[in-house]
Parts: sequence; C-alpha cells; structure tokens
Amino acid sequence: MLEVQTRQADSGATVIVPTGRLDVAGAPALKEAISEVARDGAPKIVIDMEGVSFVDSTGLGSVIAALKQVRSREGELRLAAPNQQVRVVLELTTLDRVFPYYSTVEEALTGF
Amino acid sequence: MSGQETFEFQAALTELEPGLDLIHRTLDGLRAATGRPADDQRLILFEIALAEIGGNVLTHGRPAGSQRAVDFELRYRDGTVEALFADGGPPAFEHLEREMPGHENEDGRGLALSRSVLDSLGYERDGELNRWHLVMRL
Repeated sequence: MLEVQTRQADSGATVIVPTGRLDVAGAPALKEAISEVARDGAPKIVIDMEGVSFVDSTGLGSVIAALKQVRSREGELRLAAPNQQVRVVLELTTLDRVFPYYSTVEEALTGF
Repeated sequence: MSGQETFEFQAALTELEPGLDLIHRTLDGLRAATGRPADDQRLILFEIALAEIGGNVLTHGRPAGSQRAVDFELRYRDGTVEALFADGGPPAFEHLEREMPGHENEDGRGLALSRSVLDSLGYERDGELNRWHLVMRL
C-alpha cells in the first residue's frame, strides 16, 4: 500500500512524500493527496520520491495528472530523489523531458 | 556471479494489490536465488514489464462475477527468464500494437513499455483465456 504524507517547506512549497510502490494499486492515493494540495492558489509542489520503491506506467500517469492540474493553476511541480528504477521508467517513456528530476528535496526546493 | 541455475515459481492470483505484492516478491526471490544485486539493470527492466502485464491482467483479466484466478508462472533457466500469465478477461488483440502515447496522456503506456524492454512479448487467445508470455535473456 502506498502511504502519502505532506509537509510545508520554509519557502511555502508543499512537499508530498509517498512511501511504497507507486503503481496501479497505489496511484489513487497520490492523486488524492495532490488534488487536495493543488485545490487553491498557484501550488508549488515537490514530490519526494525517495521512499518510492517502484513505479509503473499508471503511477507515472498519476504524476502527469498532477502536473496538468498544477499547471492549470499556474503552479509548478518538481520530482526529487527518484531511485534507479524510477529514473529508468522516466527515460524509457521519455517523460524525463517533462519531469526534470532533482537529486534531493533540498535541491528541488532551491529557488522554488 | 554465483547462484542457482534454475528457478521456478507458480501461483494463482486473485486480488490486485496482493497479486502485485507476490509478483514483486517473486522477482526478489529470483534476484536472491541467482545472486544478482538489487540494481541489476536487466532484472529491473524485466520487473518493469512483469509489473505492467501483471497489473493489466489483474485489473482486466477478472471480469465482474468471475471466480477464475490469474495463473502466474516464473521460470529461469540457462540465463533466460520467462513469465506466463493466463487470465479470463476479454480478448486483448486491439491493445497489442499500441504505441507509446504522447507526454500529455495519463495512461496507455504499459504494453508499449513492456515491448520496449523484453526480448519477446507473446500473446494468444486460447478459448476463453488470454495467455501472455514474457521472455528476457538476462
């Protein structure tokens, strides 16, 4: 089961922290968490992927949905700390061109 | 590298999340049995395809009211890993050749992704069953 926590960074950005597999079973939990955060204003969101052990195409789809939602409100979304498997899937699907990822959450929050 | 030269596993999968849990645990078992590290690139690629097809058959291969489980087998021999799934869902011919969709699409990548990483992805309709055959030389 994917568990999702959120926290506020000092800059005002929201850090969403999923833990577990972001797959066809876990994607709805991330979608729900992002929808809540992206409801108001121009959201700035970092998804901390460090605790995500595995991602599948449906999990990626939930991140694309989040990106569309955030951009529709003129916000911004960044991915941080993806593991090797996540980076491989991003590259195979060429979604690394859409989601340039950051090595750490701190790096993603810099200038955000 | 040292480890077992063969590995076999069979299971009947009935629910999405426990089924995916078992699929990933089986891959972990193969890693351990063959002495491959967690960052072995070929097994990472195989696990990506296995989870995509496994997720598809567990989602679409058990129509409402059907009591039939999804059959899952994993075999490793002579450096080649194979997985087989048999499910009772509707025929899947129309989805087989789907190309990788554009960046804006939220779904439809699973089969294209699987084809891109496997040595072969077989599919046949056998009576009321879909049979999937995933093969990769490690």
